[in-house]
Amino acid sequence: MAISAPIGLKAAFLEAARTKSGLAATAMLGFLILLAVLVPLLVPFDVVRQWSNPGQWSDNPKLVPPEWSEVFTGKRQPRTVIIPPAGQSGGFDHVRVSFEVQGQNYTIVVLKQSFDFQADAFPSEISLYMTTMFGSKSPLVRSWLTRPDGQEVQLFEDTPSLRASNVSQFRPADVITYSLTYPSFKDPSYQVYANVKQWLISNNVTTSGEWGELFPSPTGFYSNPPKAQVLLMAQLNHSMLDPRTAQVLKGKYSIRFEVDGFSSVDDANARAVVFGTVYGLIGTDDQRRDLLIALLWGAPVALAFGLAGALATVLIQTLLGAISGWYGGAVDELVQRTADFYLIIPTLPILILIGILYRPSLILILFILVVFGVVGATTKVTRSIVLQVKEEQFIEAARSYGASRGRILFRYILPRVMPYTFALIALTVPAFIFLEASLSFLGLGDPNLPTWGQLLGNAYGAGPAIFYTFWWWVFFPAAGIIFTTVAFALLGYAFDKVLNPRLREQ
Amino acid sequence: MTGGCFSSIMGVVWHLAKRAIFLVITFILAIYATVVIANGGGRVDQILKDQIYTDLKQQYARNPAFQRLPPQEQARQFNISYNSIIEAQGLNEPFFQKSFRYTFNALQLNLGRATQLHSSDLSMRVSDIIFERLPRSLVLFTVANVVAAVFGIWLGLWMARKALSAFDRGMTVLSVTTFVVPPWVYGILFILIFAYVFKVFPAGGLTSVPPLPPSPLILAFPPLIAAGLLGAGYVVYARLRSKYRLVGFGILGAGAALLLVWGLVLPADYFKDMEWHMILPAAAVAFSVFGSWSYTTRNLVLQVMDEDFVFAARAKGLKERDVLSRYVLRAASPPIVTSLALTLAAAWTGAIITETVFQYPGLGLLFYEAISLFDAPVVIGLTTVYALLLVVTVFLLDVTYSLLDPRIKALRR
Repeated sequence: MAISAPIGLKAAFLEAARTKSGLAATAMLGFLILLAVLVPLLVPFDVVRQWSNPGQWSDNPKLVPPEWSEVFTGKRQPRTVIIPPAGQSGGFDHVRVSFEVQGQNYTIVVLKQSFDFQADAFPSEISLYMTTMFGSKSPLVRSWLTRPDGQEVQLFEDTPSLRASNVSQFRPADVITYSLTYPSFKDPSYQVYANVKQWLISNNVTTSGEWGELFPSPTGFYSNPPKAQVLLMAQLNHSMLDPRTAQVLKGKYSIRFEVDGFSSVDDANARAVVFGTVYGLIGTDDQRRDLLIALLWGAPVALAFGLAGALATVLIQTLLGAISGWYGGAVDELVQRTADFYLIIPTLPILILIGILYRPSLILILFILVVFGVVGATTKVTRSIVLQVKEEQFIEAARSYGASRGRILFRYILPRVMPYTFALIALTVPAFIFLEASLSFLGLGDPNLPTWGQLLGNAYGAGPAIFYTFWWWVFFPAAGIIFTTVAFALLGYAFDKVLNPRLREQ
Repeated sequence: MTGGCFSSIMGVVWHLAKRAIFLVITFILAIYATVVIANGGGRVDQILKDQIYTDLKQQYARNPAFQRLPPQEQARQFNISYNSIIEAQGLNEPFFQKSFRYTFNALQLNLGRATQLHSSDLSMRVSDIIFERLPRSLVLFTVANVVAAVFGIWLGLWMARKALSAFDRGMTVLSVTTFVVPPWVYGILFILIFAYVFKVFPAGGLTSVPPLPPSPLILAFPPLIAAGLLGAGYVVYARLRSKYRLVGFGILGAGAALLLVWGLVLPADYFKDMEWHMILPAAAVAFSVFGSWSYTTRNLVLQVMDEDFVFAARAKGLKERDVLSRYVLRAASPPIVTSLALTLAAAWTGAIITETVFQYPGLGLLFYEAISLFDAPVVIGLTTVYALLLVVTVFLLDVTYSLLDPRIKALRR
């Protein structure tokens, strides 16, 4: 590295920022820093702490692409529709009648709400949630779906055994979920299929025999049978039996619950989620989590981790390199041999070992990385620069007025080295970001904090086929990492151009 | 003259011997550090002991004869077997003593037995497992790095010739930005693009499943011969006088024809299938490495271009291309070689995630499998082999450096 005319840190900064790549780097880093500042305000840390809590994300559709991806398919994709419980705006209409016949109390509760469905594709799932409150006897709960063509299909019939004491509050344990999309054989919602079969046969759409071929056995899902939500929301003709040909019936649907209770205290409340096939800006993962949150929070985490690691290692390495070059002799030999030694140690395997054995937190990972980077390439570069600076006249001048060696090192030599140090910091940040990403990818990162590497690791862990269908899960975290590291690489390059004038002009 | 030559050779040998001794010491220390960390201060030993304990418990629980014995006798027998196994595996020694034994064994490549993993012929010996996989990693990463180096140096020379043009600026930014990103990130993107969107390459693995029957090994070589022919054809075309250009075209055409014949006519077999599966990982590695070659080459060449001897060469009326290749590149090569020690060294250990992403069954994927199964002997063995590979790489670079740089001979005399 050639030493040009003395250039201060500030001057180097200003000049680097004026080059084209420096300008691009400044813009990219400015965007990232803005993001890092705004994200904690926009998405509070509390949300991120819920990242590994599956209950938090149950209202999001599972593994769906971002909303804007419908541009590629050309079809209007449905958004998630949530019908909140009665008592909230837009919630179910709640009618409750209690009466007495021959000394026996009866209560009838009707919950009804409609939603408009205008998309070109079927919803990905439908779930109905119900809370009931009753006396000694379980009420009878029934549910219907009314279609825009006037057809009414009964969904299921159940006698709940869970009791809720207060209807206005949904306590998670008291909620029964009727999943119309993934009903299990023991679940009352499995009746949906039987009811749909009845309905279709009575409308001459299918025959019992054909239906038997679609559903080979009660538990047999191996022949890709039509999903309940497809049958329920398709135009009523024979094409609806094949998910590839089924046409969406657009218009106003309504969901109705009826509770027939056998005491005067019976009451019920309900909630419905018609899951869309697209979500948000980035989409969701297999645990229904909004990837946008992790993607946004990845920026401050990556920036902080990369900067802290790079600052610590490069500054330590610079100091050691300067000491090595300035004092020479045994100190020099010791530092240089240690640097050679560190070069040969297989750092990543050892780091992975540590990760497996101790499950370190993000801070501890950072600390270990710094320990493994106290000497290295920067030490060698700094030493060679110091060896050149040492011979210059202003050092001679400082010596002649009696400055101590430590004073010369800190007041005269280190300031000359600093611009190079900052170039090296900018070039080291990507290495740290990728080290963290590598560990997270292998599942050895901090499980409480979503990082870009962790998203990639999750996607990879869900199966190699994930890269095909679920591109948004892979592409955006990878793009985030690349964007950040490229910004730092460009900054380092801009510095390099300023500090090595030969690269600038001939 | 002969004396000077002799002493300069002695100087090089002395220098290399010193480096070798230093590297061996470093290697031993690195292995010792690995042994200490891999055992986690006795943690892995405890895991192993627990495993032996549960295995033995289950074994005895299934034994009806053992169940009929009185409890004291049961306990006595259990302890005897347990202690003998512990002793046989050397788990009862204090860690300090054991660590030296482990290090000494590792240095002899006497790596012991795996606890879970095995090679494809079901050998549980760690060295068998590792040496089954080592050639695959060596081939993949050597090919990728060589391709990247050749392409990078060529690109760097071209950039230096057109210094400060739009091409140079664009390529510099491309080089600078691509080499900070490790191969596994490109791997993920390449799989996404080439394996799933365009479906031109397999997404991963060593071969198709089930593997195709192997044909003679010789059929695996046409691509290499074709690459050689293409390179030679280009050189003949570009370097020689115009009347030989036809020869150059001929060689180029022969190379292309061989490639076509290999690709389309020759039947698919095991090796061809393997090469087909290696293209995407090799491309990912090469794409993340070539930038450092081209950027370093460009900068060093530009620095050397200002030297007096280059002016002299130009003044002699040599063609610019010859000045570049004979004078500039020769003088710039030692620093290029050194600055890439790091790249190569990083490539070895970086293989862990790259191979995992591609499910390529080399050393890297073995490491991943071993750590997920807590197979400590395999992990220690692999780290040993990695350290060995690093040491050998660094030493080879030292040798290359001292052969290339005349100043070393002068300095070390």
